[in-house]
Amino acid sequence: MRFLAGVLFALVFSGLAAAQAQPVNTGHLTAELVSSAQGIAPGQTIHVALRQQIQKGWHTYWKNPGDSGEATRLDWSLPAGWTAGDFVWPTPHRMPIGPLVNYGYKDEVLLPLTLTAPASARPGETVMLKGKASFLVCEEICIPESADLTLALPVVAQAAAADPKWGPAIGRTLAAAPKPAGLSAAFRKEGAALKLAVAGAPLKGADVADAYFFPFSGTAIDHAQPQAVERGPEGLTLTLAPGVDFQAGAGPQSLPGVLTLGEGGPAYELTAAAGPAPAGAAGLGPPPAKASGGGAGGLNLATAALFGLLGGLILNLMPCVFPVLAMKAASLAGHGGGAHAQARRQGLAFGAGVLATFLVLAGGLIALQAAGAAVGWGFQLQSPPVVAALALLMLAIALNLSGVFEVAGSLQNVGSGLAARGGTAGAFFTGALAVVVAAPCTAPFMGAAIGWALGQSAVVALTVFAALGVGFAAPFVAIAFAPALLDRLPAPGPWMDVFRKALAFPMYAAAAWLVWVLTQQAGADALARILGAAIILALAAWLAGAAQRRALVGGRPLAQGLAAAALAAVAVGAVVWPRYAEATSTAAESRTAGAAYEPYTPERLAALRAEGRPVFVNYTAAWCVSCQVNERVALSTKGVAEALSRNGVAYLKADWTKKDAVIAADLARFGRAGVPLYLVYGADGGEPAILPALLTEGLVVRALDAAAKPS
Amino acid sequence: MSGPLHRRTLLALAAAAMLATPALAQPMIGQPAPAFQARDADGRTRTLAEFKGRTVVLEWTNNGCPYVQKHYNSGTMQRLQREAAKDGIVWLTVISSAPDMQGHLTGPQAKAWKAKAGAASAAVLLDPAGVVGRAYEAKTTPHMFIVDKAGTLVYMGGIDDRPSSDPASLKGAKNYVSAALADIKAGRAVAQPATRSYGCSVKYASAD
Repeated sequence: MRFLAGVLFALVFSGLAAAQAQPVNTGHLTAELVSSAQGIAPGQTIHVALRQQIQKGWHTYWKNPGDSGEATRLDWSLPAGWTAGDFVWPTPHRMPIGPLVNYGYKDEVLLPLTLTAPASARPGETVMLKGKASFLVCEEICIPESADLTLALPVVAQAAAADPKWGPAIGRTLAAAPKPAGLSAAFRKEGAALKLAVAGAPLKGADVADAYFFPFSGTAIDHAQPQAVERGPEGLTLTLAPGVDFQAGAGPQSLPGVLTLGEGGPAYELTAAAGPAPAGAAGLGPPPAKASGGGAGGLNLATAALFGLLGGLILNLMPCVFPVLAMKAASLAGHGGGAHAQARRQGLAFGAGVLATFLVLAGGLIALQAAGAAVGWGFQLQSPPVVAALALLMLAIALNLSGVFEVAGSLQNVGSGLAARGGTAGAFFTGALAVVVAAPCTAPFMGAAIGWALGQSAVVALTVFAALGVGFAAPFVAIAFAPALLDRLPAPGPWMDVFRKALAFPMYAAAAWLVWVLTQQAGADALARILGAAIILALAAWLAGAAQRRALVGGRPLAQGLAAAALAAVAVGAVVWPRYAEATSTAAESRTAGAAYEPYTPERLAALRAEGRPVFVNYTAAWCVSCQVNERVALSTKGVAEALSRNGVAYLKADWTKKDAVIAADLARFGRAGVPLYLVYGADGGEPAILPALLTEGLVVRALDAAAKPS
Repeated sequence: MSGPLHRRTLLALAAAAMLATPALAQPMIGQPAPAFQARDADGRTRTLAEFKGRTVVLEWTNNGCPYVQKHYNSGTMQRLQREAAKDGIVWLTVISSAPDMQGHLTGPQAKAWKAKAGAASAAVLLDPAGVVGRAYEAKTTPHMFIVDKAGTLVYMGGIDDRPSSDPASLKGAKNYVSAALADIKAGRAVAQPATRSYGCSVKYASAD
């Protein structure tokens, strides 16, 4: 009888023992112990884990809970000989509450740890491993909760199979947990800030924009302060706010913790030693802003193409295009009076010229980038020979419009000029030229579209550029196809001659502008050369004109024609062939009509930001007319100069008139491929604000005032 | 056409502004303690300046927080306050919980709580807007600060070295505040002036 009672007793109790292995609901979370293997062999080490299923909206804490809170604990009561390790903590999340920041976990988390069976464990037994888990679980208020947990683990002779559910889950958690990765790290106090410099192979070329350091000690840093990131070729430097450890005495000599590269990104365990930074941890400035004007980050082909179309349309309005508008207007004036078919042909030819040139330029740009050259949009105007040749071309066109010589057709067709036999070809050429000269002006939307396109495959990029071309040519082509508009134009007549000659002057202005750009790029010697070539070209044009007039009256001015051609060739050759000397760089601090500025280098920017000064960076180029317009209209005004000095803003100018790999890389990081780009870095060390491509004095002053505010 | 860009610029600037904390007078050991002005439970306005010439202890509290309850339920906090009062030290208990948050008390409620707990603080300061809390960067309840007779901050941090809400953790705990007050009384520099504070977060108003 007593035997039966004993058996019943044992059965009941073993049933209860099984029940004790169930998950425990402590109030706001459910905790249980799970095992990665179905059993453990004597002397073997397996992983078990503490699983928390936390009520939605509540959280528990990491090893270092942050500004408040308490880390989860597990106090084991193990049979003799059994040992358990510490938790392998998964990467925590930052949880801000008001002005405080905590580090912890939400929803579900597994905290693995090692469990070792003694050699004396007997296979066939099931051992009951008990532990008391204590949590601080918080939402708005905090509640300490605890659970007495048990894990029934069979002891087996050989290593057991993995638990089908928890084996893979624990394995994944262990794989994702932060581990040492051979990074070298050092920290030092710089003024009121703590600089943590980390370098190593895993960081080279990585996206470190969202890097964050979770220290193991709760008193090392001020957890609530943001951590500004500065990149280096081999790593990064984080600017941290020191914690109470640095208030008293020398401060700690070692700073262990976890470096992550963003939510869900890689995480590395490291221990920084007090001392100088390892090489390669700084020098490349802060990472690019994620949201650039136009939202380059979130573009897809459809949006980029749309932006391209809009950008191309707006490009018609940009100051760069003005000389070409003059030519467009001249050719349009030949269409009044019913030559509709011709008008349409020429409209299409213009569109084709624009499209073809955009695609050729884009193809060239993509090929150059693929070959590793740091070029951006507008690269054609960074080369002095190209600029000089374009200046001569502008001059030739201006001389043509002035009537010094004709391109095609007889003098009697002066009114139809470009609308004659050679008119279609002329329209195509006009379209091509328009792109070559106007393209360096990056219109709003265009910058974002091109920036995105250049990061995509060649086909996708060319599609976006084609959309740009369509947008650019659209107004002109539309007019050419609108008979109503064409009919409005007055019929060709002597007025056209006057109109043409008047339009020559914007072309002279374009030539003068390009000469100025050339001087910026290559100095006074280049100026002398281009002016000499211009004179020779003018002479050639006059000779050509004279030859044409002679031919009209029956002469055969072969000699004159040849002489004209030869002189033209000499003029062009003189500016294209020989090397250009680099223009001597201006002094370190130059003065424009407005504020004093320094030349931009990433090191200077990093130094100024480390000082806590707001910085205004102006990416510009001499050949970028919209940049020059912004300079005169907004940046050189007294209001802006006052705002710069009032707010202590440092003004850095990044001049992209000549090729510059560093500037090209900067533009690419902000999702742009051309200038202008205006960045305002605030005193607080966050990401820079990007100003629109079209500036006004008020806009710049407001941005500068805002940058200095959170000091 | 600068519309969308302008908005993004404003958003970026606003985000940048929000990242900065308004730490105008960051509390630092050896520097003058941040000035403050707050109403006490009787409705009188109290300032730090009025206690110049006396040692002041600031204790951040929240009567619903388990860590505060550990100290008050066991009577250790009240005993510390009585001993401090005997030495002429001004003990100020500060409540920075925002209205509707845990620990917030009105004047009459604060007086009732003080009487019930048998607290021996000189005054209970009501700081529902969190102005005093943010000036001192008070993060937890409890969070302790000591200002010496000259107005210099000489201690900031936890009340002891046992960051747990378990009453059993009081046994054998080293009380940093009594150690610091003993150092001050003996004319010594405080041996451990900056320690880790622990507890529930101070219930400032939520950001949104």
